[in-house]
Amino acid sequence: MSGPATSGEARAGRGEMLRNNVPYIAIALVILLFTIVSGDRFLSVRNWTFIAQQTPVLLLLAYAQLIVVTTGSIDISVGSSLGFSMYMAVLGMVWLGPVGIVLGILSATLIGFINGSIFSLLKISSFVTTLAMLIIVRAMLNIISDGGSIYVTEQAATGTYVDSVAAPWLLALGRFPNILIFALIVTALMWVFYEKTVFGQQLKALGGSERVLTLFGVSVTWFKIQVFVAAGFMVGLASLISLGRSGAGTPRAGEQFELDAIAAVALGGTPLTGGHGSVLRTVVGALTLTVVANGLTIAGVDPSWSRVARGVLLIIAIAISLNRRRIDVVK
Amino acid sequence: MSENGSALLQVEEVAKSFGGVQALRSGSFELSRGEIIAIVGANGAGKSTLIKIVAGVFRPDSGRMLVRGEPVAARDHNVSHMRQLGIEVVYQDLAIVPNMNAPYNLFLGRIPKRFGIFVDENAMRRKTREILEDLKVKTVQSLREPISAMSGGQQQSVAIGRAIAWGREIVILDEPTAALGPTETGEVERLMHEIRDRGTAVILISHNLEQVFRLADRILVVHHGLTTPAFPRSGVTSEQLVRAITLGEQVA
Repeated sequence: MSGPATSGEARAGRGEMLRNNVPYIAIALVILLFTIVSGDRFLSVRNWTFIAQQTPVLLLLAYAQLIVVTTGSIDISVGSSLGFSMYMAVLGMVWLGPVGIVLGILSATLIGFINGSIFSLLKISSFVTTLAMLIIVRAMLNIISDGGSIYVTEQAATGTYVDSVAAPWLLALGRFPNILIFALIVTALMWVFYEKTVFGQQLKALGGSERVLTLFGVSVTWFKIQVFVAAGFMVGLASLISLGRSGAGTPRAGEQFELDAIAAVALGGTPLTGGHGSVLRTVVGALTLTVVANGLTIAGVDPSWSRVARGVLLIIAIAISLNRRRIDVVK
Repeated sequence: MSENGSALLQVEEVAKSFGGVQALRSGSFELSRGEIIAIVGANGAGKSTLIKIVAGVFRPDSGRMLVRGEPVAARDHNVSHMRQLGIEVVYQDLAIVPNMNAPYNLFLGRIPKRFGIFVDENAMRRKTREILEDLKVKTVQSLREPISAMSGGQQQSVAIGRAIAWGREIVILDEPTAALGPTETGEVERLMHEIRDRGTAVILISHNLEQVFRLADRILVVHHGLTTPAFPRSGVTSEQLVRAITLGEQVA
C-alpha cells in the first residue's frame, strides 16, 4: 500500500507550506536589499515602470513553462521558439499586412505540437526533445532570416534598404501601460485555465501519477501533446508583446530566455518534479527575477556578473522548490 | 452457483505474453451476480495478469471475455470500456494520485464538467460526501487537501469508495487488506458483503487463506499461468487448497 500516514506526511505538509511562502519572502528580501543598496534610484516610479514593462514577456514565457513543468516535463525550447515566432509574426505582416501577425502564434503553437508529438509518441524525454528543438528552431530562424532583421516602425519606411513594416499599434502594445494590461488579462485567463478547467487539473494529476491515470482509462498520449501545444500558444502570445516592445524580429531574439522562464517558475515555488504549481506565485517569481536583474544593473554590477548571480539564483530556486520525497535518484 | 445463462462475466481461455514471457497461459472462469470469487495463487502465477485483463488494462492475446453474455470486442478491450460496463478495481497500492484531493481521485476519468471545460467542483464534493457517507466512512476532514495528507485508512476508503461507486457490476479487490490492521480489515470485509448484497459481484485476490474461506463463495486457483476450475468453498479443505496453489493439483 502506498503512503500510509506517517509523521513524514506531516513534515511534507510543512515543507509544502514553506515552499508556498518562499516566493513572497524572496521578493521581499530582494526589494529590501536593493532599496538599501540603491535607495531612490531603485524605488523610483520611472524604474518600476521599467520593471512593469520588462516583466510581461518573461511572465508569459514562465506560464508556458508552468504548463509543462506542472506535468513533470520541461520545455527548454521556449527561447528559440519566442525568437522564431517574433520573426514569423513580423514576416507575416510584411507578407499579409496586420493580420499576418497570427503567423507568430501559429509558429509557436506548431513548435509546441512538434515538441509534444516527439515527446509523447516517440517517448523521448522532454528535456532531450526540447533541447533538440532549441537548436533546430534557432537554426531555422537563422536560415529564414538569413542573418537579417525586420523592423516594426511607426510609419511606412520610405527607403527600401531596410526591411521593415509599419505597425504603430503593435509598438503601442509594447509600451507601458498597455503591455502590463495585456499581461494582466493573460494572467487572469491563465489562472482560470490552470485552476478551474479539467485540462488544468489534469496537468497536475499527470505530474502526480501518470501510471494511475492510465490505470483508470485516462488517455495521456494525446493529452501530453496538447500540453505542449498549450505552452506553444502561450509562447506565441509572448512573441507578440516581445515584438511590440523590441520593435524587431531578429535572429538572436529570445536567446537564453528559456533559463529565465525556468527560473521564474522555480522562484515561484513550483517544483520541477511536477504535480503542483501556482499562477500567482509564478507572477512573483518572474517579478523577482526581473527585479534582481534590474537592481544589479542599477547597483552598477557588470552584466556578466549579473548573469552569474541569476544562474546562482536559478540553482537556489530549484533546490528549494524540489519535492525531495519524490526523488529516488538524481542522474 | 453460476449457470451458463445467468453468468455476469465469462472469461474463456484468455492468455497473455509479455515479450517472450507467458504471464498467463490460459485463464477461464465465470462469475454471477452477488457472488464473491477468490483468486489465489503463488506470486507470479498470473493472478494480476488475469484481473488486469478483466479490468481492461491488458488486452488478451487469445481467448475471449463476455460481460452479461456479450463478447467484448478486441478494439473495446480497454479500461474505459470496462469501466463503462461497470467493472472497477481496487489496486493493492490503491492507485491514487497523491497530489490531488479526494474528490478528484474518486472521479478519476469521470470528472463532471460545466460548459464542457470547467471542473464542476461542487458536484464532485457533494457526490464525494454522499459516497463516503454511504460507505459509513467517518467524514473525511477536508476534501480540498491532497489525498496524501489523509491517513492510510482514509486513502483506502477513497480507493474502495471509488470502486464501489462506479463498479455496479463487478468490483475487483487486489489484496485489499494486506496492509491493514484487524479493525480496518473488518471494515473492508463488511463493505464486501454490503456490495455483494446489492448484487455486485466481487473478485478478491488474497494471500490470506483464512480470509478467502471466510468470504468467498468459490475459489479459483492460478498455478503457472493456468486456472483450475473454480470450486465451492465448502468442497475444499485448506490443505487441499495449499497443495493446489503450490503444486497445481486439481481439487476434484
